Amino acid sequence: MRVYVLFILIIPLITAVVCYNITKPRVVGYVSLGGTTALAVAASPAIALSLSGTVSALGDTFSMDALSGYIMALVILLSLASAAYSISYLEHEYDAGLTNVRGVRTYYGLFHLFIFTMLLVTMANNLAIMWIGIEATTIVSALLIGLGFHKRPLAVEAAWKYIILCTVGITFALLGTFIAYYASTAVIGTEGALNWTTLRDMAHRMNPETMKLAFIFVLVGYGTKAGLAPVHNWLPDAHSQAPSPISALLSGILLNTAFYGIMRFVSIVEPSTGSDFTGHLLILFGLISIAISAIFILVQENYKRLLAYSSIEHMGIISLGIGIGGPVGIYGALLHVLNHALSKPLMFFASGKIQSRFGTTNIANVNGVLSSMPLLGTLTFIGALSLSGTPPFNIFVSEFTVLKAGVDRGLWPVVVLFLIFVVIVFYGVLLGFGKMLFGRPGDGAAAQAEHHPGRGGASEWLANAVMIFMAVMVIALGFKVPTVIDETIRTCVQVLGAK
Amino acid sequence: MKSWIEAFSIIDFISVGILLTAVILNAFKSIESYVKSYTVNSWLLAGLIAVVAVLVGETHLYIAALLTLATKGIIIPLFLRGIVRRMRVTHEIQPYLSNSLSLAISGVLVAVVYASLKEGIFITGFSKNVLQISIAVILISLFVMITRKKALTQAIGLLFMENGLFLAGFSLTFGMPTMIELGVLFDMLMGVIILGIFAIQIKRAFASADLDKLTVLKG
Repeated sequence: MRVYVLFILIIPLITAVVCYNITKPRVVGYVSLGGTTALAVAASPAIALSLSGTVSALGDTFSMDALSGYIMALVILLSLASAAYSISYLEHEYDAGLTNVRGVRTYYGLFHLFIFTMLLVTMANNLAIMWIGIEATTIVSALLIGLGFHKRPLAVEAAWKYIILCTVGITFALLGTFIAYYASTAVIGTEGALNWTTLRDMAHRMNPETMKLAFIFVLVGYGTKAGLAPVHNWLPDAHSQAPSPISALLSGILLNTAFYGIMRFVSIVEPSTGSDFTGHLLILFGLISIAISAIFILVQENYKRLLAYSSIEHMGIISLGIGIGGPVGIYGALLHVLNHALSKPLMFFASGKIQSRFGTTNIANVNGVLSSMPLLGTLTFIGALSLSGTPPFNIFVSEFTVLKAGVDRGLWPVVVLFLIFVVIVFYGVLLGFGKMLFGRPGDGAAAQAEHHPGRGGASEWLANAVMIFMAVMVIALGFKVPTVIDETIRTCVQVLGAK
Repeated sequence: MKSWIEAFSIIDFISVGILLTAVILNAFKSIESYVKSYTVNSWLLAGLIAVVAVLVGETHLYIAALLTLATKGIIIPLFLRGIVRRMRVTHEIQPYLSNSLSLAISGVLVAVVYASLKEGIFITGFSKNVLQISIAVILISLFVMITRKKALTQAIGLLFMENGLFLAGFSLTFGMPTMIELGVLFDMLMGVIILGIFAIQIKRAFASADLDKLTVLKG
């Protein structure tokens, strides 16, 4: 059993090395997809076991419970989708001369390293190893944004902002981790504890004042990485400048792995400080994030940046759900993690296709996607409806659950503000994408489409299949949350200690 | 040895040295002096850890001191010097504020830290000054980061901040387990290398290493 768990970490490393050493740009993408599939196969027994109990390896260093299993399943699912989509994206870039063989190899090597770092975060039992993992995701993804085949000045600017802001932020999270460690030494003597399982068992005996300080530092630190306002400034730049498959990973899952760190801390801070302290902070930051992103979505002219701001909004909703707390609130937040991880990558994949057809990320220059490219248009339409929170799509369900939790707790000011901002977002997202989807395709756009006929190769087919699969999931989850997922999230809620 | 360390308050002396090497950034005009100041700062940090190792007598503290010396004291400064040479920057820092004003502001920052942490809310350990100094170092380096234009000064500010953080962690808990410290140092090292690479990229892309050119992405 233990061997399986370590395989999960080893496979992406091997795949990274193999991909970096293949010199045929047409082959490397399929090798990368094969590696990711192997990873999924190797990880599924561990994930299945973690849902019913704890799986550990290397003593206590790695330990997976239902929450780790849930986030890990999302990491692997999105890695598969993104690896499949990357093939056609990179072939297109390569044919267009935007990258060379070396760029392609570097891309895939870093891609799998990136997956490795995220898996490390989900598996770590030790809070400091989790920190090491989260910092490593910053370093690897900064390279993916700024280097390799994206030698454009704007990408370098985005990567610089990203790495500086996130490293400064995450340094504070390390200080918070130190302080939590210090609080634990006061309870159990000189050798303090950093293992999450140990800390959880003694959480109620720790000094509440010290834990409050630790939580503030951790919230600021991991909050920067999770894109919570007002320290979100790196996010729109990084997400709009990264290659589309990477934007999908950044937005769909990287933000969630950072937020996963906050969730872990909430559950060890709450027993001593009471849930009001953490709850109020999370609600506050959640609402600020939703408010700021709503305003920027409304005035946004660039559709990739619009999607990035929408990520800030959805992280705000997750923060709000955890902050409101209780089984319903946390259930809503965790369901929202899944829903957002399906809808947002779908939109980034689709926008990557739109960008390569129209050659622009400006909303005003894209017209009539629905009539000139029916399949892509329909997928974008489904994604946009879902992201804006339209019923009966998936995101509506989880937003409604969070809202219901707020009403149950009687937090009326929060509920009212949340509703107002969500309506603004609804209008902003549909306004932006409505302009792009409908209308007559402009002459320029039609000519562009003529120039780039769909090649219909295997890679194109694969990318479309991925997007169709995600769109089907988006619709299906809106009607009914499958029993497996429902039970998984319920177990996660128990892991987080909601009463 | 132990009584000697306590009698001469060696720990306080070293931590004041760490604070001074951070404050002095405000007065320097060239990137080379920033790198030198960082080197001294890291050596002092490693020295402090070594002194505490003697006091407490724990093996993992000796290892931590050696690791700090090797990475922060030797590898990173050498790397930074190489980057400075490769970038052929003008060496002038060009701060947004004048040197005297920023020196005054960092003095105020130190005073604020001492006033707000006067009670030493945490202190159990060897010196209550260490935590205050470490927080002051973190604040001063953040201040340096936001008031300087060059890409490399931001990276060095970040490094100073991490030294301050290590000092804080150290004053709270006598350091982390060795494995963890290794991981953190490795991450830091990788981070610095990548910042160096990006600094060169910025220089190439914008024909300048000034960060006020990086203003295209907004809104």
